[in-house]
Amino acid sequence: MNTPGLRLLGVALIVLLGIWAGLKTHSNRSAHQVRGVAVPAGTASAPTPSDSSAPEAAMPHTIIPARLPDFSLKDLTGKSVPISAWSGKSLVINFWATWCAPCRREIPLLKTLAAEWAGRDLQVVGIAVDYPDKVRDFAGQFKIDYPVLVGDQDALDVTAKFGMESPAFPFTVFTDRRGEVVALFVGELHRPQVDFILSEVQDLNQDRVKLPEARRAIAEGLQALAEKQAG
Amino acid sequence: MKRTQTSLLIFLVLFVLGAAGAAYAKPWWMRGIESNETDFLPPDVAFRVAARIDGNVLKVRWVIADGYYLYRQKIEVKAESPDLVVSAPQLPPGVVKTDPYLGTQEIYTQQVEATVPYTRIDAGAHRIQLKVTYQGCAEAGLCYPPITRVVFPNAGPAPVAPSIPPYPWQSIAIIAGAFAFLLAGLVLRKGRKLDVPA
Repeated sequence: MNTPGLRLLGVALIVLLGIWAGLKTHSNRSAHQVRGVAVPAGTASAPTPSDSSAPEAAMPHTIIPARLPDFSLKDLTGKSVPISAWSGKSLVINFWATWCAPCRREIPLLKTLAAEWAGRDLQVVGIAVDYPDKVRDFAGQFKIDYPVLVGDQDALDVTAKFGMESPAFPFTVFTDRRGEVVALFVGELHRPQVDFILSEVQDLNQDRVKLPEARRAIAEGLQALAEKQAG
Repeated sequence: MKRTQTSLLIFLVLFVLGAAGAAYAKPWWMRGIESNETDFLPPDVAFRVAARIDGNVLKVRWVIADGYYLYRQKIEVKAESPDLVVSAPQLPPGVVKTDPYLGTQEIYTQQVEATVPYTRIDAGAHRIQLKVTYQGCAEAGLCYPPITRVVFPNAGPAPVAPSIPPYPWQSIAIIAGAFAFLLAGLVLRKGRKLDVPA
């Protein structure tokens, strides 16, 4: 074996090792961040506060369910309502709280959506993780006319079912009429994003696209919208 | 010949350092593949809290990430260790933020330090522990529920805000790249003479 050949082989190995180490470290750093756009069901990470003594610790990856999980919460009159009450409809499930400014800001958009889709195959449902009295007052003041469910620990348990163990608000889950989770959007919703997601949900409902294609299209479309807004 | 091989080896090693650093730092030519424009930080990265003992007061400092803010009225500092008595935290005036849906609030961005007068009635038998509660949001439209953390104030200088960018490899990549070009130039130039016009 000649020495220059061995040396070159060694250098090539170092090159590959270096690139691999760099990419691996970078992907670990990316895992610390939370996607602000819709995250594909079944694969995404959710915001989870790490221990204060180790803020850089990698965030545990939590799984967003592929299908709408079963749960019940109380409505504003105190009656327990299962989410299956709207089975057969596409759902826009908005998780919010009265103390959260962006949650309050998106209420008018959700009211508009509810009105536009009234009597059709899409239902807006609000889930407030808050005190029932506060939510009742707020819902009256803002004239929220779509169903609102409310809870404290039981509502937090529901957020955990969507992979959001330590949630930040607002976040919104979109399902198709079969109960497949199409997208989970973390952060304040805006009209172009909602329209884009709902057009894909409609395509799914009418069997014009398959679920993986719709999820991919949503992820790409929302990223394009975000870039357009940023640019 | 041997010298050329050595130069080549140094060049390649420096290239490796550059490649590793570039991959770590995610330079401009890699951005756009997975945009972070709308990503949100975990709460303990968005709001870093630390405390120190400063004579007869405790200082609690929050370093707040760009694009994030803390609400002044949501900041609370309480004694966690036994036999420690703390007074209400003294906070500087914040920036007034008016939200049409939430009214007028005072907020802090970048960093804020609370001064907390304290009394120890155990002559230092217990290590000081504070329980701090705070709440904040991202400007991009996300709010975190109140966060409660126990902090251990240290006697010493104030915690320093993390320097930006926090990528040591980025500097190494730039330096290594510059050296690599220099070496490549030397290797290529070897044995050549400048054509000097007569």
